[in-house]
Amino acid sequence: MLPLTLIHDPHCLRHDTGGNDHPEAPSRLAAITGRLQKSPLAAQTTTAPSRPAERHWLTTVHSEEYLLRFEESCLAGKSSLDHPDNQLCYDSYEAALHAAGMGLLAIDCIEKNPGRRLFCCTRPPGHHAERSLALGFCFLNNAAIAARYWQEAHGRRKVMLIDWDAHHGNGIQAAFEEDPEVFYLSIHEHPTWSFPGTGWKEETGLGPGKGATCNIPLPPGSDDPAVMKAIAEQVEPALNRFGPEALVICAGFDGHAADDMSGLRYSSELYRHLGECAARWAARYCDGRVLTLLEGGYHLESLAAGVEEYLTGLATLDP
Amino acid sequence: MFIARYMTTPPFTIAPEMTIPAARELLQSRHFRHLPVVDEGGKLIGMLTDRDLRSAYPSSVLSGEVIKSCLAELDKTPVSAIMSRAFFTVTPDSTLDDALILLDRERVGALPVLDEAGTVVGIFSIRDLIKAYRSLFGLGERGSAMIVVADDGNPKPLTRISRVLEEHQIRFTRLIRKEKENPQDNATIYLRVNTYNLSAVRSALHEAGFQVAIPTIIPPTEQPA
Repeated sequence: MLPLTLIHDPHCLRHDTGGNDHPEAPSRLAAITGRLQKSPLAAQTTTAPSRPAERHWLTTVHSEEYLLRFEESCLAGKSSLDHPDNQLCYDSYEAALHAAGMGLLAIDCIEKNPGRRLFCCTRPPGHHAERSLALGFCFLNNAAIAARYWQEAHGRRKVMLIDWDAHHGNGIQAAFEEDPEVFYLSIHEHPTWSFPGTGWKEETGLGPGKGATCNIPLPPGSDDPAVMKAIAEQVEPALNRFGPEALVICAGFDGHAADDMSGLRYSSELYRHLGECAARWAARYCDGRVLTLLEGGYHLESLAAGVEEYLTGLATLDP
Repeated sequence: MFIARYMTTPPFTIAPEMTIPAARELLQSRHFRHLPVVDEGGKLIGMLTDRDLRSAYPSSVLSGEVIKSCLAELDKTPVSAIMSRAFFTVTPDSTLDDALILLDRERVGALPVLDEAGTVVGIFSIRDLIKAYRSLFGLGERGSAMIVVADDGNPKPLTRISRVLEEHQIRFTRLIRKEKENPQDNATIYLRVNTYNLSAVRSALHEAGFQVAIPTIIPPTEQPA
């Protein structure tokens, strides 16, 4: 087993979504760290705090106007941004900066030690956030910012984002739709039945980015075999065609059967398989350069179990 | 639901004297499929479709000489020679339902919209109909999700659902109940919510006594032989 680094920062726990059974709560991160402390993985896992992402990296994805609006909403004591779903508090902007910074810190670490296995406990999540819009509990698009950082700070031009959160990452797709150098692939519950109602399989990128977007919508009730089939028939051929230099995994655990935020029926074991896949793809295509960011996952027990399974797969020496 | 809101305006119309090649050029460059043909006073006298044009042109399997002479003939022929004089129209105060029935029954792709004086004021195509229903039902609306709710057979299902959602401050924009099609089925309720918090939606519906159904493809009922 390879050593693991968990990037986890107390700032991210201070993002208060107002209680009232809001699913995106600090208890999510506590469930993950609590589980990992008791896990056989604990012996090989180290934890590191984050750093706030610098503004010029945020503006590779978001508008200045939006960043000001977000920060001001927090400091002015507003309770949400753009929709009541997106609850925030005074500390939310700072939390989001640290969540976005996790990817940057992890990328620097991966570039120094290729093959290092890192998992970022990002919160708030990011993949629904658009250039000037908060959506689906997301404020800053952590994965999109990380992909731009990988390109511009380390010259890894061809970045592939693989998103298996139960929901389509509309914000990531929107950020890279016209970009042939960043491939966005998402496996999610079919948009007719699922939030945010985007991610149709007919969407394959725009203009010069045509062919660098791949949406794999699954009908409600889909389980592990549907994902395995998608991997064999669509994900691996896409990886082969694109040949990424770096890989970003957008890891959402809300497709689990016990999570009522989607109608998907994944088991915890699926996440081990997804971890093994990530490790194998990283070894095969990009000298071990793989970054994993947490997206959704709201059923605390299956979220924690899913992360543990995923990390077990990811740390496998010979996947 | 009125056509006035969904029709394409201003309508692009042509005169009956326009030659066939000129009309073809217009359809191709503007990506139209239907052109109303109007007289000097703007009154509708015919409809020209891309299909009318296609059948006016000579087949590509004919010899070069024949094609050449056909094309020379077409250069001189006005659209009035090939336009349809039997056409179906709607008015700005027709409804989407009127248009749907007409488009479906007459198998046409577009309907000219005429005012009381018979002047063409717009055109309403199948594409406009799709767009209208898409916006009415919120299909593909970003930030929303469709929930299928099993009708429990108890009275006032829609009242109970809207009350509990409003009590929980859950935004929703469409609530549709479709009667059962077969005696063995239940009625289905479609609910479009504008929130990511599907967990809250589920528990609110549960509180009102409903279950969220997993949509499945029901095998077609066996037809009697």
